[in-house]
Amino acid sequence: MVSRLKSKWPYAVMAALLLLLILLPFDWFPGQYTTLMIFIGVSTMVTVGLCLLMGYTGQVSLGQAAFYGCGAYISGVLSTYHSVNPWLAMLIAAAVTGLFAYIIGYPIFRLRGNYLALATLAIGVIVWIIFSREGPGGPDGFSGIPFLSIGGFAFDTSFKRYFLVWAFCLATLFISQNIVRSRTGRALRAIHGSEAAAESIGINVAQFKVKIFVLSAVYASLAGSLFAHHLRHISPQSFDAIASVKLVVMAVIGGLASVWGAIFGAGTTRWLSDEILVSYPQLAGWDIPIYGLVLVLVMIFMPQGLFVALKSGFEWLRYNWRELPSITRDIYERRILRLRSGRVEP
Amino acid sequence: MSQTILETRDLTKAFGGLVALNQVDLSIEAGKITAIIGPNGAGKTTLFNIIAGVYRPTSGDIFLNGQTMKRTPWYARAISPELRRKVFSEKLQQYIPAHKRTAMGVARTFQNVLLFGNMTVLENIMAGQHPRSRYGFLSAAIRSPKARHEEETISLNAMKYLNMVGLGTHAQQNALSLPLGQQKLLAIARALATEPRLLLLDEPGAGLNTLEKRELSDLIRRIKELGISIILVEHDMPLVMGLAEWIIVLDSGQKIAEGTAAHIQKDERVIAAYLGEEVE
Repeated sequence: MVSRLKSKWPYAVMAALLLLLILLPFDWFPGQYTTLMIFIGVSTMVTVGLCLLMGYTGQVSLGQAAFYGCGAYISGVLSTYHSVNPWLAMLIAAAVTGLFAYIIGYPIFRLRGNYLALATLAIGVIVWIIFSREGPGGPDGFSGIPFLSIGGFAFDTSFKRYFLVWAFCLATLFISQNIVRSRTGRALRAIHGSEAAAESIGINVAQFKVKIFVLSAVYASLAGSLFAHHLRHISPQSFDAIASVKLVVMAVIGGLASVWGAIFGAGTTRWLSDEILVSYPQLAGWDIPIYGLVLVLVMIFMPQGLFVALKSGFEWLRYNWRELPSITRDIYERRILRLRSGRVEP
Repeated sequence: MSQTILETRDLTKAFGGLVALNQVDLSIEAGKITAIIGPNGAGKTTLFNIIAGVYRPTSGDIFLNGQTMKRTPWYARAISPELRRKVFSEKLQQYIPAHKRTAMGVARTFQNVLLFGNMTVLENIMAGQHPRSRYGFLSAAIRSPKARHEEETISLNAMKYLNMVGLGTHAQQNALSLPLGQQKLLAIARALATEPRLLLLDEPGAGLNTLEKRELSDLIRRIKELGISIILVEHDMPLVMGLAEWIIVLDSGQKIAEGTAAHIQKDERVIAAYLGEEVE
């Protein structure tokens, strides 16, 4: 085995973040972030699937909101109008969505690059039209979806649902992390690297693409179900093409090739849309340009995404924190010198 | 006495009107180094791609260890053989796809290397162990004991192949950060990691300097000693003549000669193919 030098630092940071995650929803904790964090958790689940599909396997999907919507609608309709147990409804939704992804997967992955992006976009639009025309309530959606409950314990407050959503979210993250580090993960990255070479070392490229597509669809479906049972009201508006694009933005901001980046990507985007844009009404309608700007900045300054950038920043601090005063002094003095000499140094 | 590892019968491949291979019959002996040479456009790489399963032959058959690469899909089996031949001719015929041939023991390298740039050197080789490991999505997701055990075997094997090509110290480097010579060695190691019985090397010597070429031919001889049959396509004549125990010459999609190095060098048709015929 190849052993890498391992430090305890990452574990300490992870433990601290986990503690923060646990303490966040309590009333005495400063700030009211419970609702926002529920949405971040739900979005993270979809984004992780997208990361596996786009960052690791190198396949584009601009229709992920369709699967998200399938999860929400199937689970919502079954539990509201057919009084199916919400958990069972959630399972059925995941199975049906997975099957749907499997059926469209084989033909759609014969396409590559831009054609694949367009085809997935088209599927997103078709599913969205079906929701608006055939779904209960039409374009306005429907309400009254029951809460999830275990035995007599109903997830009827945001506080309870926060833990439910994040339990699901962390489970998805851990599963994805395991997959990425396994034989399967190597096969996926091999497909990203070179399909011809992947085929030459015995990887069934078409099958792996479809499998990971199904997995990402199931993630999205579970997230959709959680979303429906949390909000109790869903409308097709949440699952349109813009929603798909937003999901891609989340994946890119967090870092396409990093599983844990999904939290940061979803967090940034959700925070922008749910907190900043809501508290400044004059920004209404500017959300898409702002996302675009953030996306461009991320692509230029941290092409590997927020997570990798944060991690390397942290690493840098770990090795240089002792020299920090001298480094700041250095920068400061250099600037003074530059000002004095009156010319700009390269 | 000697066994054949690979046999082709009437192998033909046409790209539209261009016939890249025209009824090629080959028989490659097991445990030997065989070279396929020929001028540009002779069909060498096409032949490779057909053997590896990337291209589908227009007609003809390939036998690996005496086993046909043809297979009849279930929907074709429903039609009677005569009707199939009359109406569909070769159209319903399927061939075993590339990834399955790797599992059957055919590995290859590429002219343009094609390493996985998003992985380290070691991971490239570990990826090569894919057909020799079994665990799937589910055990990977929960990191089952089976998965962990296999993972350990995979990395041990990968280290073995890495050391075999002499890249052990570069294990954690990005694959594309290596110079071309080492990249080519890595590509061979990756192919070896699939534990093949037949190794196809597509121009392994292209772009290498004299020293690297010497290392390469040493490596190829060592691979042969493991009992792996090798077919190489190569333009570098000194390399071919020094290595190959049997040489097959292709020209315009046809086999024009085969034999040992000494025999090939004297063959008139080979000389004509390379230098052009003398005008009387």
